[in-house]
Amino acid sequence: MNYLSQVNAPGLYLMVGAIIGFVLIMCVLFLVRSYKAGLAIGMDKAVLKKTIRNSAVFTVLPSVGILVGVIALSGALGAPLSWMRLSVVGALQYELNVADIAAKAIGLSGLNVSEMSAGAFATVSLVMTVGILGGGLCCIFFLGRYLRKLGGKKKPAEPASAENAPAENAPAPKKRSNIGNIAMVAMFIGLCTAYISSYIGTFANDVSSFLPLLTACVAAAVMLAFTALAKNPRFRWVENFDVALSMLIAMAAAVIAGGVI
Amino acid sequence: MRGEELNVDKNTYFDSFNRQLHLLGKVMLGVSFVAMIAFSFVVGAMYDVAPSLSGFLSGLLQVGIIYYPVAIVEFLVYAPMLGVGGSYLAFLTGNLTNLKIPCAMNARELAGAKTGTPENEIISTISVATSAIVTTLILAAGVLLMTPLQPLLSSETLKPAFENVVPALFGAFGLKYYLKSPKIAVAPFVIMTLLCIFVPAVRNNTSIAIIPAGLMCIGIGVLLDKMGKLGDI
Repeated sequence: MNYLSQVNAPGLYLMVGAIIGFVLIMCVLFLVRSYKAGLAIGMDKAVLKKTIRNSAVFTVLPSVGILVGVIALSGALGAPLSWMRLSVVGALQYELNVADIAAKAIGLSGLNVSEMSAGAFATVSLVMTVGILGGGLCCIFFLGRYLRKLGGKKKPAEPASAENAPAENAPAPKKRSNIGNIAMVAMFIGLCTAYISSYIGTFANDVSSFLPLLTACVAAAVMLAFTALAKNPRFRWVENFDVALSMLIAMAAAVIAGGVI
Repeated sequence: MRGEELNVDKNTYFDSFNRQLHLLGKVMLGVSFVAMIAFSFVVGAMYDVAPSLSGFLSGLLQVGIIYYPVAIVEFLVYAPMLGVGGSYLAFLTGNLTNLKIPCAMNARELAGAKTGTPENEIISTISVATSAIVTTLILAAGVLLMTPLQPLLSSETLKPAFENVVPALFGAFGLKYYLKSPKIAVAPFVIMTLLCIFVPAVRNNTSIAIIPAGLMCIGIGVLLDKMGKLGDI
């Protein structure tokens, strides 16, 4: 039995299928519970449904991109591990790099199928898995305390009592700073900036690598048009699909530019 | 008075709900991590081999030195954006910067939810859960149909599209958020662009470049807010 047959064996598909099935059930559980909690605290059912619909539409194109990553990874690591890595904890930009580091650490020249064996696969997959658990471990051990600290709460669910209720003639509480909101929007602008700057930097150093920058520019231009369009009440619905449509048109532009140039 | 009672009830209910999510989230992450680690050992046992301890330690050292600090920063930055449920799910299902965070931000924007409110946490959790379900189903379908799909997804014609999903995502989102607050964006954009042009290590390690870019934006945002020049974002 050669290496690729070993790492694509039906037993591996079953194991990975069971792990992903468990994760899927948990996602459904979180979704249902949060939906019910939203209704219980008085949120509008239409807003909750819109969030589900919009998030589903939003996710389709990036998921196809991730699927391409699964296919790329499966050539060296087999489909089951690639499927698991990009469904659970994984990240497209992380996997190939880490697999290559792990392969070199066990004495191979890199992630090279001709040098791989079942033993090398076991070690590489273990490094890939343990190496990416940092964020999840932080959640297990620190998430509750961290979010409480940020929210400024001593303990959750302190029962309200007449003693700690504000007196009616007490001065109005000072308006809470929206610093959390600013930090969140600012961090996201930073995230976009890091990516877009890297496309400009890559293009400036190698003009033949123009496609990422071109794609980003087309997506931005289309988004600008959609933003203007959505100001007209008749086209307000565009807001629900503007990111997905901008991406689709920009990706089509990348295909055309990639074919022409 | 009635409004205050409702608010107290809502907060009490939400705290109790969050406690359940913490328990569920910890169990979910714990079980998944053990199962994923066990996978490598079971595969080894199937073929009468074991993972190499020295290879594992050496590989983990090289990987951990880069990715554990990044993971800690990601946790510190993204957990407040995602809230309790969204954080557990996003850190379990991965693809944070290229999918879950933009998806949750988009949902929050459309729902008009404000940071730190129960509504924002509910929207984030629903958004991340939906996104994770859709990705899982698409990947499962893709793996089942890998043989017929492979020629299409690996076709040379469509390759530029699939290689540029992330640029398309951040192009669209970048514009949306730059328009939202150009004052925060301008200086970090210029500085990061110059760094990316002249320092190869910065442009080749986007996951690390996010840290200075994000810190600059947060610093500028907070400063402008204190000076009363930021406006509503």
